[in-house]
Amino acid sequence: MKLRIDLNSSNPVYRQIVDGLRILLVNGELNTGDQLPPVRRLALDLGVHFNTVAEAYRTLAEEGWLDIGRRNGAHVIARPLPSRPDPETEVSFQRRLRELAAEVQARGFSRARIARELRLLAENLERS
Amino acid sequence: MPLHLVLIVPALLAMAGIFHITPQLTRPDLFFSVTTPPDFRRSPEGQQIMKRYRLIVWGTSLAAIALVLVFGVPLFAVLLPGLGFWGAFLSARRQAMAHAAAPDPVIEVELNAPEERLPGGWVVAILPILALAAVGVWASFHMDQIPRRMAVHWGFHGPDRWVDATPAAVFGFLAVHASTSLLLIGMAWGLLHASRRIATSGPSAEAERRFRKRMVAMCIVMAYLMGVPVAVVLLMPSAPDMTIWFLALTAVIVFFTVTLFQLGQGGSRLASTTRTTPMGDRTSDVFWKLGVLYINPADPAILVEKRFGIGYTVNFGNRWSWVALAAVAVPAALGMVFLR
Repeated sequence: MKLRIDLNSSNPVYRQIVDGLRILLVNGELNTGDQLPPVRRLALDLGVHFNTVAEAYRTLAEEGWLDIGRRNGAHVIARPLPSRPDPETEVSFQRRLRELAAEVQARGFSRARIARELRLLAENLERS
Repeated sequence: MPLHLVLIVPALLAMAGIFHITPQLTRPDLFFSVTTPPDFRRSPEGQQIMKRYRLIVWGTSLAAIALVLVFGVPLFAVLLPGLGFWGAFLSARRQAMAHAAAPDPVIEVELNAPEERLPGGWVVAILPILALAAVGVWASFHMDQIPRRMAVHWGFHGPDRWVDATPAAVFGFLAVHASTSLLLIGMAWGLLHASRRIATSGPSAEAERRFRKRMVAMCIVMAYLMGVPVAVVLLMPSAPDMTIWFLALTAVIVFFTVTLFQLGQGGSRLASTTRTTPMGDRTSDVFWKLGVLYINPADPAILVEKRFGIGYTVNFGNRWSWVALAAVAVPAALGMVFLR
């Protein structure tokens, strides 16, 4: 199970760690009770400051995914999914999708390609 | 011709041989401390750089041998090959920089990587220091039982340096060796907990783990070899024969040198790479001064793999590296002063 970050990405490393781990959590690749590498270990392996990883872990802990124990260890905890998202999340989700589509279009993705990728994602989501 | 001058010749040849093979021991995408595509070293330009490097290494080594044999000055034996090696390395590095490639910006980390621990745990690692501390406590109550003169250095023919066993000398002797043992144990800990894992999965990661394990074992064994004899020296009524210790030390050095050379830097000789984009050691060339000094304040690693040669070096940009070095160097320096 791998966490992948791109040092050349415009997305900050902290955000990439949060996003990468959240994908693993949502997809069930990281399950309740699983232990994550200590902050120090992950920071060393990624070559980033300890605070960057600690902040990412804290964000996921605030979202209810992780329990951060002593000595900077963290493990996945059971997180009941809300029955329906709050209205703010719905609005934010649609806005971020539109923003992302506009961003990749500005970088050269065709509309057809974006639609294809979204369809693929939708199919994967329905299957899982 | 004095025997010691004749003995210099095989030593110089062995040194030249080591310099000769050193570029082959590095990771495939690090060529003379520069990040290059993995197959660059096999290209005509790469081979040309290698050829020139080896020509200078052997040229200066053979010149040093000739000067030693003709003029009988051992200083040539040290200076000339050393200068030749540095000149050859820096020249090769400068040429390789023209072919430098950007390392892969994408980093993958295996979240399930097995935890690596000190062999035998903490107790086994710190036993040499505990032994020295115990001798120190014992000595503070039994100074009268320590021989008046104690040997503090051994040569081929037994002890060759003695000092009066004053309390300052006894504790200085203990401090020097405790610091050396502490440095080695600290390195073993640092290799596991303050250095980066470069390969994340597959055979490369396994090879890297084997390499690290061997390095850690070497540090622990050397800590024992540095610490335990001191306790023996202080506790024995007369200067002990250190032949067994010399043989053990030589055997350990030879064993670890040979096996680490077989593994290659970071275990790179065990697992071939199929990558086309260089990964290097996950550090940027700009932080390597002269190709050997790593200075990167933003890198949390205290120890990083050497780019040229086998083993690890310190990240001089990390303030904790200086704290660790001072923690070892200060007692060692004080001990040396007391031993004079």
